[in-house]
Amino acid sequence: MAAITTRNLSKTYGGGLRDPGDTVALAGLDLEVHEGEVFGFLGPNGAGKTTTINLLLNFTQPTAGEAFVLDRPVADSQVRSRMGYMPESVNLHDYYRGRKLLEFYAGLAGVAQELRAERIDRLLRLVNLEDAADKRVSKYSKGMAQRMGLAQALLGDPDLLILDEPTASLDPVGRKEFRDILQELKRQGKTVFISSHILSEVESVCDRVAIVQKGVLKRIGTLQELSTGGPTVFRVRTLPAPAIEALATLGAELTIAREGATIRCADEAMAQAVTQLLAQHGGQIVQAESETQSLEQIFLTAIDAKDEARK
Amino acid sequence: MNRTLLIAADSIRALLHKRLLVGLMVASIALTVVVSMMFSTARESMTESFAVQIDDPKSPTAKMTEKEKRQFKESMEEASFGFQMGFYFVASFGGTIVALFIFSTAISSEIRSGTIRVTLAKPVSRTQFLVGKYLGAVAVMAAYTAVASIAMVAFTHTQRIELSPALTYVPWLMFWKHLMLGAVAMLLSLFMHPIVASAITLFTGNGFYSDRNPLYYLLPSYGDFDLYREVFSGTLMDVADVGWLTLYAIDFVVVMLLLALWRLRKKEIV
Repeated sequence: MAAITTRNLSKTYGGGLRDPGDTVALAGLDLEVHEGEVFGFLGPNGAGKTTTINLLLNFTQPTAGEAFVLDRPVADSQVRSRMGYMPESVNLHDYYRGRKLLEFYAGLAGVAQELRAERIDRLLRLVNLEDAADKRVSKYSKGMAQRMGLAQALLGDPDLLILDEPTASLDPVGRKEFRDILQELKRQGKTVFISSHILSEVESVCDRVAIVQKGVLKRIGTLQELSTGGPTVFRVRTLPAPAIEALATLGAELTIAREGATIRCADEAMAQAVTQLLAQHGGQIVQAESETQSLEQIFLTAIDAKDEARK
Repeated sequence: MNRTLLIAADSIRALLHKRLLVGLMVASIALTVVVSMMFSTARESMTESFAVQIDDPKSPTAKMTEKEKRQFKESMEEASFGFQMGFYFVASFGGTIVALFIFSTAISSEIRSGTIRVTLAKPVSRTQFLVGKYLGAVAVMAAYTAVASIAMVAFTHTQRIELSPALTYVPWLMFWKHLMLGAVAMLLSLFMHPIVASAITLFTGNGFYSDRNPLYYLLPSYGDFDLYREVFSGTLMDVADVGWLTLYAIDFVVVMLLLALWRLRKKEIV
């Protein structure tokens, strides 16, 4: 069973009197998030991440396509009893005190009366807000509100957790604690869908990632899958002169030293061409290895970074 | 507890934490009390003046015929009744302002602040949300009407007026009028800023138009709910009239809430 499925999910804003021009926020997104995985949803500002979340929570209606969560249509409000959501800007009903707020949300989430007190205490401990449980939420700092936002998302013991920029207001200690909580949720077999800008964080916790830009899915896969097809480095012992000229024509990056030469190929197609060329000219490959790409490199390669810089 | 009732309870809590609203309610009731005292003082001084004139042989009143004296006394009573109606008008208008504030902000403030995202991310349907918010606002309005009614009864006692049977229905009809206005304000607040929604609701609901104005035939009328007008014009209502008016109000509120629900379901929460 897929935790999240979207088929040709599209959303266009505008077209009204106030905003006659259409803005394509999401263009035919096909996505499948498996049960039990931590899934990173990445993209620059305005890529369509929050729009996707809005559609998954039925806050907005798609212009085309469809979306399912936990095998139910997103319009079915009852499916949200198995979901938890933490918004990017955690705006809570701040006229409550911490514990009372969680009691109110627990009622809405359908948590049985006899389980509430124990669960609220456990969550307050988990997000480190025990001492602020009886403080008015309006007096909370941004970081505390974000922790409370996570606690309310976990109240219904959800199978699927949707987190929109969950660590934006957390300090480094808070981020570390948040990563630990995610690891624990992963161990419990929960599905977590995280939209984030903080690539290092996603890299450390996510099983799979998707990269979107301008509403279009650019890449999707495990970090290992995404890092293949990147630069390949060949070390060769002998390199005849015609081969050097041919390599220059291909655009490969060549470094010649006394013990041999190093040829760096930008992608897999170039690596194949270099292998053929070396075979033709009698170049002897001593070692071939793919360079491991960081998520940041994968991200920057996937999106049109120059176009983003111009925004 | 049922989710709708939970939202209603939260709505009451949210409304009572709005300082502006609490200030408005206190000011409205205080104004009612002040107006009551002013009318009471004016009425007493008029009564005393009349009594003095009747007893004083040099007064022009003393030279009046019995018929003229009776007419003079009746005009004094009419003036007193006018004060009474003025009092009810102040109480009703204050309630209208309070109602517009309560109902126009009940849902729109959640949308504007973004708290609706957390609520609707729970297994809460938009119908439950809307009905819960409306019920919460109704509860606050009921409490306000109860306090305003107590002030009215107190006024009636201080004036030593025998309560007209028709006036017994004033709080009930005033309450329903406010629920009708509130339903319109809530519906309009889903299309526009709550202040604009309140202004439009007030414009359509407080006699800014008449039967000479084409709007009269298009917009709902709350005139029959302003009982002070009926009392002033001498048309007293009976229980059946009040029953029909209540039924009309219920129908009206249901239609407005259905329209509001249609709008809320379509509304993009971004």
